Amino acid sequence: MTELKISNLNKRYGGNHVLKDVSFTINGAELIGLIGPNGAGKTTLTNVLDGAVKPNSGTVYLNGKRIDQLPSFEVAKSGLGRTFQVTRSFRRMTVLENLYVPALALGKSHKGGAVQKEALEVLDFLTMGHLRNEYARALSGGQQKLLELGRLMMLDPDVVILDEPFAGVHPKLMEVIYDYIRRVNEQGKAMIIISHQMDSIFALCERLLVLNYGDLIADDTPDKVKNDPVVIEAYLGTNEDRSGTGQPEGTRSS
Amino acid sequence: MNRQQIPHVLGALIIAFFVAFPFIYSAGNYDYIMHICIVGFFYAILASSWSMLAGYAGQFSFGHMAFMGLGAYTTALFCHYLFLSPEPTGICTEFAIAGQYLVIKNPIGVTSTTLTQDCLAQAMESWDGSVQITRMPVWLGIILGTLVGGIFGLLIGLLVLRLRAAYLALFTLGFSEILRATISAEIQVTRGQAGIELPSLFENGITVAGHVFSKTDKIPPYFVMFFLLLGCLALLYWLSRSRFGLFVRALREDQDAAAALGVNTTRYKILVFVVTSMMAALAGAVQAHYVTIITPNNLMILQMSLVVAMAVIAGVENFIAAAIGAILIEFMLEMLRTSFSIGGVEIDMSLWRLVFFGVLLMLTLRFARNGLLAPVIDYFRRGHVAAETVEKRASDAVDDSKNSPSQTGSHS
Repeated sequence: MTELKISNLNKRYGGNHVLKDVSFTINGAELIGLIGPNGAGKTTLTNVLDGAVKPNSGTVYLNGKRIDQLPSFEVAKSGLGRTFQVTRSFRRMTVLENLYVPALALGKSHKGGAVQKEALEVLDFLTMGHLRNEYARALSGGQQKLLELGRLMMLDPDVVILDEPFAGVHPKLMEVIYDYIRRVNEQGKAMIIISHQMDSIFALCERLLVLNYGDLIADDTPDKVKNDPVVIEAYLGTNEDRSGTGQPEGTRSS
Repeated sequence: MNRQQIPHVLGALIIAFFVAFPFIYSAGNYDYIMHICIVGFFYAILASSWSMLAGYAGQFSFGHMAFMGLGAYTTALFCHYLFLSPEPTGICTEFAIAGQYLVIKNPIGVTSTTLTQDCLAQAMESWDGSVQITRMPVWLGIILGTLVGGIFGLLIGLLVLRLRAAYLALFTLGFSEILRATISAEIQVTRGQAGIELPSLFENGITVAGHVFSKTDKIPPYFVMFFLLLGCLALLYWLSRSRFGLFVRALREDQDAAAALGVNTTRYKILVFVVTSMMAALAGAVQAHYVTIITPNNLMILQMSLVVAMAVIAGVENFIAAAIGAILIEFMLEMLRTSFSIGGVEIDMSLWRLVFFGVLLMLTLRFARNGLLAPVIDYFRRGHVAAETVEKRASDAVDDSKNSPSQTGSHS
C-alpha cells in the first residue's frame, strides 16, 4: 500500500518562511484536497515533494524510501508525479511525443508497439485521439491540461499531485478530469488536489489539508474543515462568501 | 509515391549528385568549385551539429567554433611536436616505445632567427640524413582532436548545467574567446597568429582502385569530408529518432517538466554537449589537415556567427535543413564575391556580400522564424496531419452519434 510520510518540512526563501514544520502522512488510495490562500505554500510544498526544491529541513518518505534529497527525475521514477499550476506541455512536440517522454524515461521501449498502444489508449480516454499527431501548441488550454494528465497516466505514479487541475477548464473537459481522478483513485493510488474551486474539492475529497502562510492549520474531513473556525477565518470565509463552479455529477454534495 | 516520401527521394538524389559531382564536373575552375564543396561540407557538419545542440536541445551555445578549434589545434600540436625516431636525439624530451623513440620537439615560437633551432632539427642536422624520423599518423591526430573536443564538451556541459538562454550564450562565448586569446598569446607553443602548419590529409598521396591521387588532389579530401558529413547526419538522425532525441527536445521545451516526468535532464544536457562538441572537433581536425594550417582567426566570433546564421537561415530545428543550408550559403557567399560597378561606382562584393548575408539573416528571423528550408521539409513530412485530425474528429463524431440513439433507446 502506498505511504507518503512528510515530517517537519521547513522551507525558507530569505526571511520568508514558506513551509513551517509541515507534517502529514498519506496511506493508500486517499483523495486529499490541499487548500489555502495565495502564498500559503501549496505550490512550494508540491515543488519540495517532487524534488524540484530542496527543503531546509524535514524528511519525505515514499513507500519507505527517502526522497526529499533526490533530484526530480528520481522522485518521478520512485512513484510521485505532478502537474503544474500553469500548464507546461512540450509545445513544439506532438501530442503522442508528449506521452512517450515519461514512458521512455521509465525505461520502456518503442519495440513491439506497446508504448504507442498505451499512449493511444490514454488519448482515447482523454477524448483527444484525433489530436495525436498535432503539436501540443495547437491545443486549447483545457486540452493541454488533459495532456498533462495523459503524461501522468503514462508515468503511472503511486502518488499524484494535481496543481489547479480545474482552473480555466470548460465543464465538458472537466468531466474528463473527474473521470481521471476517479480512475486513479480506483486503482488504489493516492492523490493530492490543489484547487481554489471549493465545490469540486468538497465533492471529490475525503480529507482536506489547509495551509496558511506555511502552517498546516487543518487536516481533517471536509465537513469538519468547513466548520473549523480557524480555517473559516484564514481562508473559507462565511457561507455567503463561498462560491465555486463545476460540481461533478454523481459525486458527494458539499 | 506519397508526399511524405518526397524528402527521402530528394535526399537520395542530393547524395547521388554529390557522389557523382567530382567525376562529371570538368570546367576550368574545377579545383575552386571542389574546394567550395569541401568547405561547404565542413560548415554543414558544424551547422547540423549546432542545430542538434541549439535547435533540438535548446542549448544556444556560441562555443561551437571553439570545439572545432580544439580539434584542429589538438591534431596540429600533436603532428607538429611529436615524432617517432629509431635513434635517441639526446637533446629532446623522448621516451622509448616499442623499439622506437617518441620525440617531443621543444617549442621555439615564430621568430625567424630561431626557426631552425628546435632540438629535432639540430639532431637531424647532426645525423646528416642517416636517421629517418617518422611523423605521427594524421588519423591518430584527428581521433585525439575529436576526443579532446568531447572532453571539453563534457566539462562545458557540466559547467553550464544551471545556465539557461542568454547566460549560456554568454558563458560559451566567453569560453570561445578565452580559448582564442590563449592560443593567440601562447606564441611559443601555438605560433600565435602565424598559425601552425599541418601535414596534408594524405601527405604521401593515396591510391584508390588503381588511380593515384597526389596530396593536392581535391577528390580524396572531398570524399573524406563528404562521408564524414553523411556519417554525422546518420548519427544525428539516429539520435533524433531515439529516446535521446525525444528527451533533449523535452529538455528544450521545459527542463523542469521533463525532470518531473522522469527524464534525467542533467545526463542528456551533458550528452548533447559531448556528442555535438566531438562532431565539431572532428570536422575542425579534418578541415585543418585539408587546408594544412590552423590559425586563431578560425575561432573568431565572425566564424561562429556564420555557422549560427547558416543554421538559422535554413532552419535550426532541423539538422538536415541546417546541413543543406550551410552548403548552399557557402556557395552563395563565394558566388557573391564577384564585384561589379553601378554608374562608375565600384561595388566591392568581397565585403558587401556579408552585408547581403546579414540582411538575409534579419529577414529570415523576422518573417520565417523556422528558417527557409525546414518549413519545406515539414510541409512534406507533416502536411497530412491537419487533414488527418479533421478526418479522425469527423469519424469520432459519427461514432458518437451512432452510440447516442442506442443509449436514448435503452432509456425509453
